[in-house]
Amino acid sequence: MDKKTAVYICTGCGIGDALNIEQLKEEGTADFGIDVIKDHPFLCGQEGVDLIKQDIEGEGVNTVVIAACSHRVNYDAFNFGRDVIVQRVNLREQVAWSQAPKEEDTQMLAQDNLKMGCSQAKDTDWVQPYKAEEPYSKDILVVGGGLAGMTAALEAAKAGYRAVIVEKEDKLGGFLGRMKSTVTLPYKALSETGAAQLIQKVEDEPKIKVYTSASVEKVSGGPGLFSVDIKANGNSATERIGAIVQATGWVPYDANKLGHLGYGKFKDVVTNVEMEEMAAAGKITRPSDGGDVKNVLFIQCAGSRDPEHLPYCSSVCCMVSMKQATYVKEQNPEAVNYILYKDVRTVGQSEDFYRKAQNDGNVFIRGAATQLGEAGGKLFVEADDELLGEKIKIEDLDMVVLAVGMVPASRPETTPRIKAPADAAGADENGMIEVAPDSGFFANSALHLAYRQGPELPTLKYGFPDSHFICFPYETRRTGIYTAGCLRRPMETAKAIEDAVGAAMKAIQCTEATAEGKAVHPRAGDMTFPEFNMQRCTQCKRCTEECPFGAINEDEKGNPLPNPTRCRRCGVCMGACPERIISFKNYSVGMIGNMIKSVHVPEEDEEKPRVICLICENDALPALDMAGIKRMKWSPYIRFVPMRCLGSMNLVWIADSLSRGIDGILLFGCRHGDDYQCHFVKGSELANTRLGKVSETLDRLALESDRVRFEEVGITDYHRIPGIIEEFMKKIEEVGPNPYKGW
Amino acid sequence: MENKVNYDPSFAEEVFRNVDAGDEIKMCMNCGVCAGSCPLREHMDYPPRQIFALIRAGKREEVLGSQSIMLCTSCYTCAVKCPRSIPVIDVMHGLAHYALKQGYVPRKDTAAFGGEFWKQVYRLGRIDEKDLPRRVFFSGGLIEGVRAMLNFMDIGIKLMLHRRMKLLPERKIKGIQSLRKMLDKAERLGKGGAIA
Repeated sequence: MDKKTAVYICTGCGIGDALNIEQLKEEGTADFGIDVIKDHPFLCGQEGVDLIKQDIEGEGVNTVVIAACSHRVNYDAFNFGRDVIVQRVNLREQVAWSQAPKEEDTQMLAQDNLKMGCSQAKDTDWVQPYKAEEPYSKDILVVGGGLAGMTAALEAAKAGYRAVIVEKEDKLGGFLGRMKSTVTLPYKALSETGAAQLIQKVEDEPKIKVYTSASVEKVSGGPGLFSVDIKANGNSATERIGAIVQATGWVPYDANKLGHLGYGKFKDVVTNVEMEEMAAAGKITRPSDGGDVKNVLFIQCAGSRDPEHLPYCSSVCCMVSMKQATYVKEQNPEAVNYILYKDVRTVGQSEDFYRKAQNDGNVFIRGAATQLGEAGGKLFVEADDELLGEKIKIEDLDMVVLAVGMVPASRPETTPRIKAPADAAGADENGMIEVAPDSGFFANSALHLAYRQGPELPTLKYGFPDSHFICFPYETRRTGIYTAGCLRRPMETAKAIEDAVGAAMKAIQCTEATAEGKAVHPRAGDMTFPEFNMQRCTQCKRCTEECPFGAINEDEKGNPLPNPTRCRRCGVCMGACPERIISFKNYSVGMIGNMIKSVHVPEEDEEKPRVICLICENDALPALDMAGIKRMKWSPYIRFVPMRCLGSMNLVWIADSLSRGIDGILLFGCRHGDDYQCHFVKGSELANTRLGKVSETLDRLALESDRVRFEEVGITDYHRIPGIIEEFMKKIEEVGPNPYKGW
Repeated sequence: MENKVNYDPSFAEEVFRNVDAGDEIKMCMNCGVCAGSCPLREHMDYPPRQIFALIRAGKREEVLGSQSIMLCTSCYTCAVKCPRSIPVIDVMHGLAHYALKQGYVPRKDTAAFGGEFWKQVYRLGRIDEKDLPRRVFFSGGLIEGVRAMLNFMDIGIKLMLHRRMKLLPERKIKGIQSLRKMLDKAERLGKGGAIA
């Protein structure tokens, strides 16, 4: 299709007062063969939108450049359907609201912004959504038949989707099935577990297919196209699946490692799970002699919040101990329960149950157990009482219960070792190397993904599957696979139900979006996908290795095999490719390169430096908009180029910019590391790593390394932005002008 | 390990049963807001939070012999701030009362102040801000009294300059007879008289 491009400049919101619009129309569009150039004082109003629509219908305009506000606002007003390419140019937050009006520098900034927009519009192609040849499935596979798994399957079924549950035990229920009672909303008293009814509901639901004594043997394909091999009771089955919910749950922390608390040494020292099972079976008795139980001591944080064992809080053990203390009291109203705690952590409304446990007369002692022993057939515990500031001894105990924490089912007993690549450091004599938790080879077997980056979900350091914890908790680093329940983080039953509902909803969204060729979170609805120009591929494997979502498989020769339905459209592969063969219809190495080239670089004697800022459009760009909305001021010499993710940054842009005389490059990305905020998990980290290699480029050009800087900017950091820019401009002034100007 | 406390829940049971508002102690979660907000904490041997911890541990002597329970001035700061809405003041007074009944004697100053306070309220129906301190100061003898008066001279002068202290003696309130009847009955009740 031939392009017919129109440029519309809005003069409202102070843009008209800050700029010479006639000059902008002329000089900002000169090089791009624009067919229609108009301005309007209120472009997003009905009249303005109608003006554009008339041109689209009457003049046959099919590419629209709108120079007005940020692309983050009014996107619905300027949506003219998929046949019209819309390119937004920011003249409001980044120009009129943050720069001095009617200044030459402000005018030049607006012109450069418009030129970049026109250049981008020129290079943008119409988007054709991906459509696989095979039919898409919208069925949901749920791995794990506990509370979270069953709830997720039921929710999917209620929404009209078929669900398949794979449970490794011979019956559904998970830990819920092994409990006597639960403490749940409204946290006033013990409640029935409801496990039997829930299992019945799942079994009665025609849309749910249950495999028990089963395991997932292999998952291949991608969202909408998963092919799942299931082995159940020795028989094999294959299911076509749209999306997967992994709810494989948790295991208790291994109490055998808690010898210092007497576990294994004294029969009457049990874990909270053993206590629960005993209570569920009927009567709580002393394991040593079957005698009655009168005095019970619960040791909280047994192994939890301890760097030697489980460094985190499982958030449920306090409630569990109070629940079990209630069992003891129900059985014998004269019984005395002692609860030895570090901090009582009853989250949210469950504080009410803490009140109940106190009111029941349970004795809460803040302190740590120092010794556990036996005297006259009864146990005693010595502890440091933090509130008395003294050593205490509690005697005549019939039982001691260790409140052990939750370990995600995905966490391996010992760190697995795999065959190391030839050039890896730290391999042992057999060529084996320990795998990092964020590798797909770390977690315990549950899914057996036929993915190049490993068979399981990459995890965080304690073995919980990685997710963007705050913004999209159910997403994992494998598209279309969602986690729910205690696998994701330790939680109580009420939260597990909520979690399962959320994960089921994400799974449904995924199947629907995939069928329409759309991306899931965080670029939800994006219909572009990376295309590979395979003739020029050198099999370097960087794209297959660096994709944060394991979307790209590999053939034996090392050629990438893209799976567009697994793709999140972040462009990390595009930034990784040294041959620059990966591009999107509206985002490519060439396009950004051309945008940077369209920036006018003044001569050295004009003393107007130019800085290009490659800015992450997920967090840093909204923060910049916010700074503009707050009318903060910053240097007019900086040009912002939005990135899908800073991980899609290709080093060639930096080299090109510097060799054209651009004085400095600023990179705004998200925080990376353990508490990363990158929407694409690894993007900003990869950008930073790549930047380490930019020194080669700078050396080749004989330029100072101060000219390139990476800054972490969070969404709440808008107030820092003008300061960062100012400081960088000062540094550029110190370093002096780029000697390549005018070449 | 020396100085080891054996946990004994029997004293806590005794407090729950016998002390006014005693069973409210169960709800204490040891946050320490009461201790942090108490204006008299510097003068207390155990702040309220610790009193509760001692009760839980079964330290009868320490609790009932403590000055803290006698020192509470009912300012209500702790009761207002307690996140568990424990009437800390009622508990402290309940404990003081229980301690007296059990034969524990408060320290001399506290007893002297309490005695004079009661007598003056009984006589006038109100507190004379000159007379009460004078009586308390001189209860320990002439030299003690002069020394205490000199110590408080600055405050006294300031109070007078700000007209917060009248020079003339306070008069009896109207209806002092009715008040005395009430006080008489209260005393009878406190001493274990008939509770109607």
